Amino acid sequence: MRLIPREVESLWTLFTAPVIWAGHFLAAYIGAAVFCAKQDLLPFGFGGVRAYIAAITLLALAGIVLAGFLAWRQWGFGAEDPPHQGWSREDRRRFQGFATLLLCALSLVAVVFTAMPAIFIAECNP
Amino acid sequence: MLTSSPFLAGCAGIQSALDPAGVEADAVAALFWVMVAGAAVIWLAVMGVLYYATRRDRVVHSETFAGRVILWAGAILPTLILTALLAYGLSMMPRLRPWDARAAEDAPLRIEVVGEQFWWRVTYHRDGMEPVVSANEIRMPVGERVTFTLRSADVIHAFWIPSLGGKMDMIPGRENTLTLEATKAGIYRGPCAEFCGSSHALMALAAVVMETGAFDEWLARQAEPSPGVGENEAGRAAFLANGCGACHAVAGTEANGTIGPDLSHLGSRVTLGAGIVENSKAGIGRFIAETDHVKPGVRMPAYRALPDEEIDAIAGWLKGLE
Amino acid sequence: MTYAYPETLPPDTRTDAEREAEADGLRKVWEAPKGLRYWTAVNNTEVGVWYTAAAFIFMLFAGVLALIVRTQLSVPGNDLVSAEFFNQAFTLHGTVMMFLFAVPIFEAVAIIILPQMLGARDLPFPRLSAFGFWCFIIGGVFVCGSIFFNAAPDAGWFMYPPLATSEEAGIGADIWLLGLSFIEVASIAAAVELIIGVLKCRPPGMHINLMPLYAWYVLIVAGMILFAFPPLIAGDILFELERMFDWPFFDAARGGDPLLWQHLFWIFGHPEVYIVFLPAIALLAMIVPTFAQRPIVGYSWIVLAAVGTGFLSFGLWVHHMFTTGLPSISLGFFSAASEAVAIPTGVQIFVFIATLLAGRIVFSVPMLFAAGALAIFVIGGLTGVMVALAPFDWQAHDSYFVVAHLHYVLIGGVLFPIVAGIYYFFPLVGNRRLSDRLGKVGFWLMFVGFNVGFFPMHFAGLRGMPRRVFTYPDEIGLNMLNLVSTIGAFIFAAGVLVIVWAVVRPKGREPYAARNPWNAGTLEWVAEMPGESWGIRSIPIIKSRYPLWDDPNLIADIDAGRYYLADASEGHRETIVTSVLSAQPLQCLRVSGPSFVPMFSAAALGAVFIFLTYHWWWPTLVAGVLALVGILYWLWTATAVIPDKAQKDVGLGLTLPIYVSGPKSVGWWAMFITMTGDGTAFGSLVFGYFFYWTIHDDFTAGVGGPGAAWPMAALAFFLAAWIAMLVARRANAAGRPGALRGLLVLSLTLTLAGSAAGLTGPWLHGMDPTTHVYPAIVWVLVIWTACHGAVAVIMQGFCLAGSLSGRLTRQHDIDIHNVVLYWHFLAVTALVTFLVVGLFPLAQRSGG
Repeated sequence: MRLIPREVESLWTLFTAPVIWAGHFLAAYIGAAVFCAKQDLLPFGFGGVRAYIAAITLLALAGIVLAGFLAWRQWGFGAEDPPHQGWSREDRRRFQGFATLLLCALSLVAVVFTAMPAIFIAECNP
Repeated sequence: MLTSSPFLAGCAGIQSALDPAGVEADAVAALFWVMVAGAAVIWLAVMGVLYYATRRDRVVHSETFAGRVILWAGAILPTLILTALLAYGLSMMPRLRPWDARAAEDAPLRIEVVGEQFWWRVTYHRDGMEPVVSANEIRMPVGERVTFTLRSADVIHAFWIPSLGGKMDMIPGRENTLTLEATKAGIYRGPCAEFCGSSHALMALAAVVMETGAFDEWLARQAEPSPGVGENEAGRAAFLANGCGACHAVAGTEANGTIGPDLSHLGSRVTLGAGIVENSKAGIGRFIAETDHVKPGVRMPAYRALPDEEIDAIAGWLKGLE
Repeated sequence: MTYAYPETLPPDTRTDAEREAEADGLRKVWEAPKGLRYWTAVNNTEVGVWYTAAAFIFMLFAGVLALIVRTQLSVPGNDLVSAEFFNQAFTLHGTVMMFLFAVPIFEAVAIIILPQMLGARDLPFPRLSAFGFWCFIIGGVFVCGSIFFNAAPDAGWFMYPPLATSEEAGIGADIWLLGLSFIEVASIAAAVELIIGVLKCRPPGMHINLMPLYAWYVLIVAGMILFAFPPLIAGDILFELERMFDWPFFDAARGGDPLLWQHLFWIFGHPEVYIVFLPAIALLAMIVPTFAQRPIVGYSWIVLAAVGTGFLSFGLWVHHMFTTGLPSISLGFFSAASEAVAIPTGVQIFVFIATLLAGRIVFSVPMLFAAGALAIFVIGGLTGVMVALAPFDWQAHDSYFVVAHLHYVLIGGVLFPIVAGIYYFFPLVGNRRLSDRLGKVGFWLMFVGFNVGFFPMHFAGLRGMPRRVFTYPDEIGLNMLNLVSTIGAFIFAAGVLVIVWAVVRPKGREPYAARNPWNAGTLEWVAEMPGESWGIRSIPIIKSRYPLWDDPNLIADIDAGRYYLADASEGHRETIVTSVLSAQPLQCLRVSGPSFVPMFSAAALGAVFIFLTYHWWWPTLVAGVLALVGILYWLWTATAVIPDKAQKDVGLGLTLPIYVSGPKSVGWWAMFITMTGDGTAFGSLVFGYFFYWTIHDDFTAGVGGPGAAWPMAALAFFLAAWIAMLVARRANAAGRPGALRGLLVLSLTLTLAGSAAGLTGPWLHGMDPTTHVYPAIVWVLVIWTACHGAVAVIMQGFCLAGSLSGRLTRQHDIDIHNVVLYWHFLAVTALVTFLVVGLFPLAQRSGG
């Protein structure tokens, strides 16, 4: 098994990082909502929710960093600046790599933002 | 349709989040003005750059420079500002609405408010007292955190006293809790903030913030029937004879209906008809005779058919219930 | 094996007469029908224009309602209109602006200009576009007309139950639900069409990094429609079941919860804001480079912004519910995403500014509107950042502050760019430029009027004015603010009228605009003035983002018919299908021509929804059968048509197949995309099931479930039917029609058995859906699956008939591929439905 995946020729890799953000966001929201709805039945307190959010956040960030690395590689490690508007396969790949890298950065910020409430809020108050 | 009521005259700030009189409203107003200042700076800066960019008599910048503008001004700077703002906003939440899981049951003063089309049913739960029922008016002591238990009897309403703090919805089947602490005594106004039907615009409440001692005296009086019950015999008889007691309760009489607002101390309330009519004998009379005009869609039928003198008598008696 | 494009165009050996004959052939094939049959047209140049015009008429109607609202509010205690009428007016204003203007105008404009930008002759499913248009116009007239009968919806455009489920909401609520559900169908149809248009109908050579930015936005927005509208459709289904049959989904007394509607509505409603905003910004992304006379700076950043906004916009919905009493940690997540979405939005604005910085502006009316759009929108964005903070929103929510904010966003971010777009693109449709003088007058009236009208509302809101009030008291400091707002609204309306006049005034005696009048760089400006109906004379090879700037001979070569598909010698409407990333030519696609069928099917389907509103069951059934017949006739006669020859020489040494199936065919993509949306609606219903689980200690409320046995039997039948379909496809590929037919019959029988078994579970256990929300939600899930089973049976019958009639053969196997694809989705639907309704109650019981 390769440690770092091979390059995939697909449009869909563009969406990797935002999909990770979406998964992280839903996992955080649903986890917290179910905890707050069912906390009387559960054996742990809000600290458990915070630990859970910390864990999924680390996982999501790791995923985004990996996706970012792959995008950076697809971009040719920044060998050439945008606009990548030539009519070659190379330019197309670099464009895809660069756009993916930008999306990784945005998703990284968005995941950190999503995790921030768990720092400040320590209970299920309505 | 909305008559001018003297208590409201010249009180432009009584329903304003920008004239705060509560801990939460204070903090939010301050936050707002800071954000306005920041927004003004940002808007002017963006417009300045845009104006510069649309001038024909300037150098044409390189693509590299333009790219840096996107990176720094379009991405990095906004991210930093938003991060700080988000952190501050999140940190405000537990501070503004501190939460104690027991607060809802054990609060020293808990006011239960039920939204109904188009009025408010109010019950006071004060330490060591029996619950006191009232309607369309909130009275609370200054400097004390008061817990509100918010429910709805029909559709969604929202409880909002802008001078004191933010709003909270009243949703059928759910019970929401809001805590507010007033910092200044005075009379404020709270409109229903969630669209609730034809007379949504005509559903408001008066919020009277009093000194603690005065509040407790007032509440003690509310717990007893009004001395006015015994006066104005004709008015009371007409009230009871026309079946008003089927829907309204007046403590100290056999009127004990719970469909409409409790009228036990109607005469001393700041307004009438959920914040829309001046509380005077004439105002009460008009509400009885032209209910459907004063408040379209209300459940109470208009008693146009009643002779004027009878309406007058009822109004006089009700006004006396202080 | 990729096709090698010619290095240079081969010498043109045709005579002028030959070229003219080609052009005549094309003209004849693509011309719109004449006379009454004009309305059977399906070509994007006709349908797109109708669509745009209709959306604008609806906008003007909603604008008049807004003026009535503003007039009523000009002074306190006004009694110009009754509370009843006022409530209908603002409800319809919001509803029409959102559902009949903002979303449809995106689809309408995209239908006109997307094929032009991509050098395609038409979108891949012209009849689907026409069908969508007819659905839109029928549903729109139905919803708008209601106010003339005092029967318009009056519960606000987000229709919160229980106000909107109550008796007092009257028939208006049904008109809203059914009329708009019908229009949502049209939106999803357009989304399918546009996604495939962008991914598969680009000109040869137009790599993904060379697409016009508009196409990027269309792709993202159409994708968003696919995930945003289905939750609303699911909500509409629950809502209408409650209104029609008293199933208590939102009735708290019987275990329902009004908040579920709010979730489903806003899961749709917030992305919708971006669904209307992004396509308008996309117009600016085309306009700004043209008037900066240089390529956009930050192409990749725009892609980042469009994709990023598309995703983040699905994490914002609860910010419309900050005051509903949800746990504050939940508010925090949505507050965070709401702040995050400002980042890509800011990037877009600075991309435009950067492009101007690196170019030199040419002043024009479109640029004026673009600049005005930014000035207004930035304010809306900044107040958006404010209301995204929960503590501030607790004050601002449902007040006029929010009214001001949303109009700054929508008028600055949508209406002004659209007017800019109209001024910019009008020559493509009307062959003439619009008056600069009227444009400037209209702009200043609109810009000043808008700010005078809406800026004071921020302060009215914070001074305690709730939204949706038909009047306000005299003494609380709102009088002057409201009066100024009303004056501003009328100035703004005057500006809109000037623009409308600029568009509609007769221009017969004015000269035609020059070709490519703005000296733009993108392919849509190849269009002749006056325009031809063929879209493009020949489909070029595209090698850059701004081909008209980079290749000075391009227009001449296209006009001379030196590129692909320069003629229509077989008398068919044809366009080229290419690959997703590199736009390698894959297929010569024959698209269908004028027909009454889309109009007929839309009318019959519209009748279903309208009759349902009035509970006319028998007419509903008749209309339903007619709609089904119409659609089946359409599918039978105009899809998967077996061509007279397998391949076609499209020119420049390129030979393309005419009939392709499976993932190579656009029909397969359409099925895939449609079923993704369908799956989202199903997911929303499943979300409802678990939502009820979270809000109740015992969500079954002691009601016995459907048991485990019947759901498991149903699941087994469905999975067996699915396997039979897989084997059937294999049998067909092996050239065994007998086996194919046998397996189709087997699978059809198993599907019927599965649907019946699924319904039997709740039936035999006596689950009465009116008693409690638990039996109701179980019934909804099994009925959903059974209905999909019924559709599957129709498809299997269609394949069977196709096989018997020679339409479906070993080589011509589009239908069986598409039906098997449908079955993949149906198998997952059945799996989830029956596991959830059959096993989850048991797991819940044993778990405590």
